[in-house]
Amino acid sequence: MRGFGTNAVHGGQVRKDPHGALRPPLYDSVAFEFENSQDLELAFAGKKPAHAYSRITNPTVEEFEQRVKLLTDAFGVIAVSSGMAAIGQTIMALAQPGSNIVTSQHLFGHSLSLFENTLGRWGLQTRFADMTNPDSVSQKIDDQTRLVFLEIVTNPQLEIANIEEICAVAAQKGIPVVLDGTLTTGYLFNSKQAGVAVEVISSTKYISGGATAVGGLIIDNGVFDWGRNPGLNELSRSFGPGAFLVRLRREVYRNFGACLSPHNAWLQILGLETMALRIQKSSSNALSVAQFLQSRPEIKSVNYPGLIGSSFHKMAQSQFKKGFGGLLTFELTDKKECFKFMDNLKLVRKATNLNDNKTLIIHPASTIFSDYSLEERVRMSVSEGLIRLSVGIEDIEDITEDLSQALETL
Amino acid sequence: MNVIVNGEKKDFAQEQITVTSLLKLCNVEMPEMVSVQVNGKFVDKANFESTTVDENDEVDFLYFMGGGTL
Repeated sequence: MRGFGTNAVHGGQVRKDPHGALRPPLYDSVAFEFENSQDLELAFAGKKPAHAYSRITNPTVEEFEQRVKLLTDAFGVIAVSSGMAAIGQTIMALAQPGSNIVTSQHLFGHSLSLFENTLGRWGLQTRFADMTNPDSVSQKIDDQTRLVFLEIVTNPQLEIANIEEICAVAAQKGIPVVLDGTLTTGYLFNSKQAGVAVEVISSTKYISGGATAVGGLIIDNGVFDWGRNPGLNELSRSFGPGAFLVRLRREVYRNFGACLSPHNAWLQILGLETMALRIQKSSSNALSVAQFLQSRPEIKSVNYPGLIGSSFHKMAQSQFKKGFGGLLTFELTDKKECFKFMDNLKLVRKATNLNDNKTLIIHPASTIFSDYSLEERVRMSVSEGLIRLSVGIEDIEDITEDLSQALETL
Repeated sequence: MNVIVNGEKKDFAQEQITVTSLLKLCNVEMPEMVSVQVNGKFVDKANFESTTVDENDEVDFLYFMGGGTL
């Protein structure tokens, strides 16, 4: 069996290019022509495997989906317009008004807002559990629970749950686990082996790499019996393990229209080919930066799962075999000091993306979590002195030199 | 044996064909991604191996990952 890096570069091509092009072409076309009316009818009925309209399928997007399928050994993949679209559509396909999802209070701010505000207004209940304690998750699951949702590494708290244990607890109750695997992106962590039913990824991050294109992925690992979900039970009888993806492709994904543009898919295929190298470099840089920050008296605390002193180091070590990722956080005294430090940086950029090639910095309390009150942010462990650093692939000496000179201004 | 597959009449040498073997005979790509109707009724995935197709049955393969309105 070929390795991840080899498959990323060579694998997954849907069909051979008629001109022998090594780089898959970009099919930047909305519609596709048919030879005759009957073929068009068959395509609409799903009886002919053909592309008809790019809101539903497109050859370049399909190429991207097939490459991700190969890399993750998934049952099937649907590429969507963003990571948030992946989360939203997954929940719309699995849950109904009156049902609930079990998740953590430690989540990306916009995911939390989607659950509590947007989907909450449509009758979905959000129940909070401590994902680092599988018993807590088990206690929150009831007969109206449709899924357990968690992040592989919570953002920005950087907590790491035992994914296998969470999946085992959920499986006992017939509930699928949906994992936001953006920070590991199928390379650092294999969600299928852990028993995750669906992995959602913001492909804007590590896959895109150079921050070229927004995108998202819904990955059905094929490990969950969709017949156990009341909303998918009937589809499951006809479509078997394809029930979840059919609900998406034939209804939720089709009707919401949050499709990935062919151009973005093409850019993300390009990014996918070098992703493993970039994750390795950003992970080794992040460990060096975390160790550097730990040695500085201006820093109150450093949180990085790669540090031996981190509460989640052992959990990370047991689950992530190829590195600890590029994201870390640290604390200064307060917001004023954070802003002063950030504004004195010369190389590191102030921006809200992560897992970019460039090292990026952000003050979460005043940006991603600004919709929440001070009390709510305390509950989410997002303090006023917290800084999030996404370490890029620059030369490590240049990153630490920049951080050092900015710290000296405090 | 004649079977109408996706509206097209096909002649097979075999006297008895299961849904699983029909998928193979018709060279269906990624058969795990295809659902099957026989005479308008969905066949459970679990019964592909045991369901046989009769003379002049109308069989439809539905490519749910493909184009069209799917």
